[in-house]
Amino acid sequence: MKRSLGWRLILTVIVIGLSIFLATPPKEKIKLGLDLKGGVHLALQVMTQDAINIETDQAIARFQEQLKKKEITVPGVSKVEPGNFKVSGIKPDDEGKIRDILDEFFRDWNYSFSGDSVSVILKPEVDRYLRDQAVNQALETIRNRIDQFGVAEPTIQRQGLAGERLIVELPGVENPERVKNIIRTTALLEFKLVKAGPAPDEETLLKDFNGQVPEDMEVVRGDPKRTQGGYYLVSKVAAITGKDLRTARRSSDEWNNPAVAFTLNPDGARRFEQVTSENIGKPLAIVLDGRIQSAPTIQDRISDSGIIHGRFTIEEAEDLALVLRAGALPASIKYLEERTIGPALGLDSIRKGVRAGIAALIAIMAFMVFYYRLSGINADVALIFNLIIIFGGLGYFHATLTLPGIAGIILTIGMAVDANILIFERIREELAAGKGVMSSIAAGFSRAFRTILDSNLTTIIAAIFLFQFGTGPVKGFAVTLIIGILASMFTAVFVSRLIFDFVLSRKKRPEQLSI
Amino acid sequence: MFRFFKPPNIKFLRYKYFAFALSGLIIIIGMLNITLGKGLKFGIDFTGGTFIRVKFSQPISTDEIRARLAPKGLGGSIIQEIEKGQREYQIRTAGLIKKGEKPEEIEAHEVIGNMVIEALREAKDTQLIEKGLKDLNTIDHKELVSLLAAFPEEAEAAANRIIEWRDEKGIIDNFDSLKEAGLKEEIIASLKEKTFLGSLSILSRETVGPQAGKELRKKAVLATVWALIGMLIYIALRFKIAYGVAGVLTLAHDVLVTLSIYSFTNREINLPIIAALLTLVGYSINDTIVIFDRIRENLRVMRKLPLEELMNVSINQTLSRTILTAGTTILAVLFLFLFGGKVINDFAFTLLIGLVIGTYSSVYQSCPIVLYWQKLFAPKKALRR
Repeated sequence: MKRSLGWRLILTVIVIGLSIFLATPPKEKIKLGLDLKGGVHLALQVMTQDAINIETDQAIARFQEQLKKKEITVPGVSKVEPGNFKVSGIKPDDEGKIRDILDEFFRDWNYSFSGDSVSVILKPEVDRYLRDQAVNQALETIRNRIDQFGVAEPTIQRQGLAGERLIVELPGVENPERVKNIIRTTALLEFKLVKAGPAPDEETLLKDFNGQVPEDMEVVRGDPKRTQGGYYLVSKVAAITGKDLRTARRSSDEWNNPAVAFTLNPDGARRFEQVTSENIGKPLAIVLDGRIQSAPTIQDRISDSGIIHGRFTIEEAEDLALVLRAGALPASIKYLEERTIGPALGLDSIRKGVRAGIAALIAIMAFMVFYYRLSGINADVALIFNLIIIFGGLGYFHATLTLPGIAGIILTIGMAVDANILIFERIREELAAGKGVMSSIAAGFSRAFRTILDSNLTTIIAAIFLFQFGTGPVKGFAVTLIIGILASMFTAVFVSRLIFDFVLSRKKRPEQLSI
Repeated sequence: MFRFFKPPNIKFLRYKYFAFALSGLIIIIGMLNITLGKGLKFGIDFTGGTFIRVKFSQPISTDEIRARLAPKGLGGSIIQEIEKGQREYQIRTAGLIKKGEKPEEIEAHEVIGNMVIEALREAKDTQLIEKGLKDLNTIDHKELVSLLAAFPEEAEAAANRIIEWRDEKGIIDNFDSLKEAGLKEEIIASLKEKTFLGSLSILSRETVGPQAGKELRKKAVLATVWALIGMLIYIALRFKIAYGVAGVLTLAHDVLVTLSIYSFTNREINLPIIAALLTLVGYSINDTIVIFDRIRENLRVMRKLPLEELMNVSINQTLSRTILTAGTTILAVLFLFLFGGKVINDFAFTLLIGLVIGTYSSVYQSCPIVLYWQKLFAPKKALRR
């Protein structure tokens, strides 16, 4: 076989050189997974139903506004479920007008009349869009919060293209509980005027209102951690909300207790000034995620800045300021998985994984030389190249090395020599059949190649499905396995052949092969 | 040329009935054990729950741990020593949340996890914390630096060194060991005043909610099924349908036998175990294909030979390769199993038994299945490619 050695040599040098370049310095190029570095892995679900619920409430409010404008009275507008509300008891004369309202102002909704009622349902594509938006917004908000908290190299991504799941990976976090709380808080801040309360229970609270909650008010409970608890009756419409904040920071109140100071944007400041000036002497509730943090009495007109008390610790005040700055989540979130790996465990895993890998490598290299003599050295060189290419591949794809990934590399060390063994056994057969050295090598390589291709491709098929299904560590395993198998096909078939040809080309007439 | 053996001439297929019977027996016993006996122990990835790895500063026994948990109603936890003499344990809160009792949310698992940690902590830790001392085994970097404010020049470096040392050891069990870490006497003395060495440190803590567990289970099954279908198609295209079917049946055999053996151990099934199963599926098919490939080749050369004989010849021809490759791969995984550490141990174990079974099945299951398939569906045709 008179294939030119030159270009094959050059290609091999390029591949190995490139791999070394991509993998060095290893500390920077090879990213370690959380299971090796330590950190927090969170899988969370955005409860997009919340976003649909809010949309429905707002739609009902808009609808009632329109009814008022057009002076239509109906006995009831009620929410059936998020994304669906029902208007019943419509007088026959009003049907046309209601149709007009729905056609003009509710283009995102489908409606159908039956008898004296109409059912209004959010269009499926709008529903999908709103949910999608909620997930994106939640992702941005969480990213914002984590950035402000200060975590190096966080990963925050959606699971799947249209998934409602987010995967958050925070390497090297020392206080996972705190971060989890920062992410979880919806941080919906509202300032609402207190109409009555606090009272120990709802009955006492509503004594002056004939036991009925007035239409423009609602009952909110005090946060047991921050207040004495109890029930408050507050106005339904918030004076200002978290959206009106310009900034928030940890501060302290006049008794030097931790508190959160905020400033408002101009629009919010104007409204706040109006509300406070009209209600001096009355209490104003500061509601966070549906729980009252404190209900101070308005002492004076306040315009653009204020303070939130509550029995905060310094950390809690810091975290609240942080989430207020970063903004509220569009929907609540639920944790599905939480995995915290301490740095000590990761360190231990790396140490042991590397030790096992080196032991396996030495044992297999020794075996190959023992069994195949000089050809075994050829296989060992191919094996080392294989490892170099794996690390180069990891560097190139910015893949993460996990503990199962290390296991994958060790497994590859064992399997990579398989291609060499297939070829060498074939060469031995050919030699035993009485062929010459060069033609035995040629036949061995060409015959074994098809076997190698078929057998490796099936393993890759399995690995691809593994990659598809796995998260984190398992994915890392699949990646190293796939790169390892591809690399072994290159090194065992191409590089090994090159080494044979190169060594044998220097002899005039090779008569013996050390195999 | 060094060889373990001369090219052999073993009538492998003569033992096919014995092999079928053996595999069948293992699978039947295994399935009985899985369905009626001990069953497979699914880990938190699939059942949901909390899994805590903890290291104690003082030697402790499993019974003692249970005794500390029992008063809080956590005595049903699964407690295992990770490595002898390392004072490391893993604790799983299985079945502590009864169905229907509380909403099965992740928060409930989390609360139980906190309860476990609290119950394990020695009472003296809490007392010392109340006195204002800090636990050197849980303190974070920032706090540590501020504690060492008396040594402004060295605080940063000393704090780094202490945390590095703590990560290295898993837990700091006595102050004097800090000398080995290269810390100055004055700093150690100051630490002794302001801190204490807590009785335990949490190495890892994982909580999976019930919903996630259900989905992971579904995904695992799907991935396995799709991988098998993918391989069936590939082999059917490259060889013949009979080989594809035989290949996939062999794989199913491998998975079933491995699970059967696994069911007799105390190991749990988590995500990495599924990964190991899929890997051995990939490995075993690799092995099978090498033999099929040789059969395909020989079918063209030895046209007169009956299929069974031809298979024997092919298996013999590839035998040295089969043994060598299995040998090197098993060797590699054996090192992983022995030295790879506890986190990866179940994974390595599954691979190890799977590799042995995969090698055995390539010889003793895949070829006989092709043989029977041909007898059933193509009795008259010559069994040519």
